[in-house]
Amino acid sequence: MTAAVEIAGLTKVFGRTRALDGLDLVVPEGSVFGFLGPNGAGKTTTLRILTGLARPTSGTAKVLGRDVAAADNALRASIGFLPDVPAFYEWMRAEEYLTFAGGLFGLDGPPLEDRVTVLLDLAGLTGVKTRIGGYSRGMKQRLGVAQALVNAPRLLLLDEPTSALDPMGRKELLEMLASLRGRTTVFFSTHILGDVERVCDSVAILDRGRVVAQAPINELKRRYGASKVVVEVDDGADELAAELANASWARTVARTPDGRIEVIVSDADAARRAIPAMVASRHLALRRMDAGELDLEAVFVELVGGSGT
Amino acid sequence: MSGFRVFARKELREIVRTWRIWVLPGILLFFALTGPVLARLTPQILSAVGSRQGVVIQLTKPPTYLDAYGQWAKSLSQIGLFALIIIYGGLVSSERRSGTAVLVLTKPVSRRAFVVAKALVHALFLTAIVVLGTALTWVETAVLFGSAPAGALWSAALSWLAFALLFLAIMTLLSVSVGSQAGAAGVGIGLYALLAVAGIWPPLTTLSPAGLVGAPSALAAGRNVAVLWPVLTSLALAALLVATAAAVFRRQEL
Repeated sequence: MTAAVEIAGLTKVFGRTRALDGLDLVVPEGSVFGFLGPNGAGKTTTLRILTGLARPTSGTAKVLGRDVAAADNALRASIGFLPDVPAFYEWMRAEEYLTFAGGLFGLDGPPLEDRVTVLLDLAGLTGVKTRIGGYSRGMKQRLGVAQALVNAPRLLLLDEPTSALDPMGRKELLEMLASLRGRTTVFFSTHILGDVERVCDSVAILDRGRVVAQAPINELKRRYGASKVVVEVDDGADELAAELANASWARTVARTPDGRIEVIVSDADAARRAIPAMVASRHLALRRMDAGELDLEAVFVELVGGSGT
Repeated sequence: MSGFRVFARKELREIVRTWRIWVLPGILLFFALTGPVLARLTPQILSAVGSRQGVVIQLTKPPTYLDAYGQWAKSLSQIGLFALIIIYGGLVSSERRSGTAVLVLTKPVSRRAFVVAKALVHALFLTAIVVLGTALTWVETAVLFGSAPAGALWSAALSWLAFALLFLAIMTLLSVSVGSQAGAAGVGIGLYALLAVAGIWPPLTTLSPAGLVGAPSALAAGRNVAVLWPVLTSLALAALLVATAAAVFRRQEL
């Protein structure tokens, strides 16, 4: 499969801050790809470089097989982009803006009119005659998505597209993104893990300017899910947790509010053999022990060291 | 090329549908309309002011159409130029600051087209205002003074227009390189002061844009001033400055 986005050794330095630190990433063409990371991880900087708004300090970034450093109108004609906070000409109306945006791609006449009608409907802005200056943030976000689709792009780059939407708007947008699978590569950054789990084929997790994991979602969860062991005992959980924390195969040990012990382990087999022995040696009653699958949130927290979103 | 045309049309519509249609035309057309009236009534105004203070003020000669032309040239050179510098200090930076440039420049519109379209559309807009204002002054002068030869008025107005186009280009470059509108306007006013001082040295007056600092008033007064070289160098420099603005903008990160 060809790559819609190929990034190798990308760095971006702002003064003393390293926003991107040797970022490597491959986004397969036709996929819906989630770009996850806590605030300040470098998601927006990556998107700015991919769209030609910023230049990398070093490394290369290719979009649809072409180096973004040499991006021209032909490459931009194949891309749709929505920034995190889209800004429009506030004196325009939605229909005018979409017509203007389509015109920049060389569209005109009835095909453009038809597309504008469809996109206004998609954005829920049909019949809205108010100028954009009077729109809510959610309306602007929906118009932003519509303008990004006006050229039926091969690659759709979206920076936090659902952040300003209400639950219904979010659901509709995610369904729409999922429907593009196979026809358009959708690359969207977000810190909303549920959105990624709902529609993405693959995901990359970014932390401090580096990709710490990239894989299809199921594989990522399988890879990390096998490393999580949940233990529940009647009494003495605190002492057991302390002993587990000292085990060589235990990477992190956490207590849940309902009293269970969650252990992220580097060697699941060793853990499965050792934990019952530990419980027995303390004369505790083992109520439950299983290798639970990590959800994406747990994978994310595990990978970025709990720095949060 | 279609991106350039569509973006230029957007600029034009933006002028018509925002404050831009009112501010600069409002200022210049107000002075175009009031200048000849003020010139015609100057003796009466002075005599009324003098009589209130017990002083008799009498002009040595009655006002002529040249006084009306002088009013227009003075309005253009002072208020017109400063208004232009302040208004166009944010020509490009306002779109960068608001974020509207991001959505345009990630579509098939080059940064060069973005800058050149803005400069070109506003040059046409400025030309239209100056032509309209000068025509108003011309007609009104003919009505009020009975005579309004075209040469002095139009040569003064068009020489100022060349100077204004140079400053539009300067402000385009400054609005690309200086982040704030106020900062760009401050530098623009500083450059005007430098040009005015440079006009003291005769070779610069003869050949460079510095010759256009005082030329409109001199031409409006009916004096013979050679402005061909200053006009040509101003227009050439304006084109160069817009090209430089486009090149600088191309290298910037948004």
